[in-house]
Amino acid sequence: MASISTADFKKGIFVTFKNEPHQIMEFQHVNPGKGSAFVRTRLKSLKTGKVQEFTYKSGESVEELPVETHEMQYLYPEGDGYVFMDNRTYDQVTVPKLLIGDFVRFMKENDTYQILIHEEDAKGNTVGGAMKAVTLETGAEINVPLFIKQGEMIAIDPETGSYVERA
Amino acid sequence: MKTWQRLKRNPTLWKQYFVREQVIKAIRSFFDEKKFHEIETPILIGNPPAESYLDVFQTTLLDRTRKGTPAYLSTSPEVALKKLMTAGIGNCYSITKSFRNTEMQSNTHNPEFTILEWYRVNTQYKTIMDDCETLLLSINKTLGDGNILKYQGKSFDLSKKWERISVKDAFLRWANVDLLEFFEMEKAKKICAKKGYTVASKNTWEELYNQIYLNEIEPHLGVDTPTVIYEFPGSMAALARKKPSDPRFAERFEFYIAGLELGDCYGELTNWKEQEMRFQEELKELKRLGKTTYDYDNDFIHALKEGMPESSGIAVGIDRLIMLFANVTNIADTMFFPIGDLFEK
Repeated sequence: MASISTADFKKGIFVTFKNEPHQIMEFQHVNPGKGSAFVRTRLKSLKTGKVQEFTYKSGESVEELPVETHEMQYLYPEGDGYVFMDNRTYDQVTVPKLLIGDFVRFMKENDTYQILIHEEDAKGNTVGGAMKAVTLETGAEINVPLFIKQGEMIAIDPETGSYVERA
Repeated sequence: MKTWQRLKRNPTLWKQYFVREQVIKAIRSFFDEKKFHEIETPILIGNPPAESYLDVFQTTLLDRTRKGTPAYLSTSPEVALKKLMTAGIGNCYSITKSFRNTEMQSNTHNPEFTILEWYRVNTQYKTIMDDCETLLLSINKTLGDGNILKYQGKSFDLSKKWERISVKDAFLRWANVDLLEFFEMEKAKKICAKKGYTVASKNTWEELYNQIYLNEIEPHLGVDTPTVIYEFPGSMAALARKKPSDPRFAERFEFYIAGLELGDCYGELTNWKEQEMRFQEELKELKRLGKTTYDYDNDFIHALKEGMPESSGIAVGIDRLIMLFANVTNIADTMFFPIGDLFEK
């Protein structure tokens, strides 16, 4: 695991918070006054899906979790999760329902999604979050995080054609 | 898309942006009725007051031979108004542009912003709390919304007394911390470590204090009613005077509605020696932080030497007030030309 500073925060990266994996949904700098600067974040727990705010001291070091993107096919719901399969390796992972939330309404069996996987430890894989291919009004296809809902405006990087943030 | 383009394509947006002119008119008529003088303060200045938590914009003033003198954009109208109070103007206010650098990437900041400050001479700072209550009610009524302010699905009855809580009581109530104990650096470190915050030897007391304040206190402020939080630790006095009966605390309050910090009030420091000492400390801190430094406003120290009347005053971010009354969550949505429209990323 790599230590990063609050100066390296980016939307969407994964960090350890209170010993649990979390994703940084948003962050902003706060200067409450003399002798101190802070970074306020919104963190989503990958275990529970719960979003909470936490304010870090500026320059504080935080463990970043490495993640890999895997193209995976959605197979079926099972218990508290949804089962996806890697089309190359045939590995299967279960994404907790809590992480997917309402987005399940836009998921179709056998469709391919981008799943972010964080290699936790010997216990195996923890699913870190997922991206979903959606069709824009223009007809273009793009991958967005699962928290994006139908009808929402999104910002797209015109050079890479990739999702940047909610607009 | 720029704001003007969005307005051209979607004329229903105009209404949200016109809240600005209504709020500013309501503020003027509120203070005019109370016979306050409205003061135009300079935006281009030679000597800012020393405030280490702010980043000042620097420019250069040229004479005819193009010989330069450092010049700065004002971070607030405070010292200008205080000089005029020393001169005898009495109660006064200013609505002006102020500039604070490095304040980007935030829904509640714009490096150029509109600030309201008002001062009352021979008045205790708690009177300013009453002013805040009546001012916000008066703006709400001008906007045609009566007593009820609706913001992001919540309703605030502005005709009712606001919640008022001291910083000490807030620490006890929401963080279960005895602030008097926390004043000792070693105890503060222990308390923070026990709560699970990272504590490093380089951390200042203010960092430890603010880590608790921001994580455990602020989320409770202005939730059900507007909240005034008062009596800050003495080291955060800025330009406020110490509480005469307990100098560990400063006569300073802030007020919050729906999580927005809207105003910062001081029982004003009038002791020139203490003010000069604080400016010198702030200047050292600016250097330590590697920020733009400057010769601080010595003319203000002179004014205090001549005798500024006892007074209380407050700074209110007008753009944040407009966020509240326009029911928007991003300060950029109150401005025709937010910083993002003016500077490409």
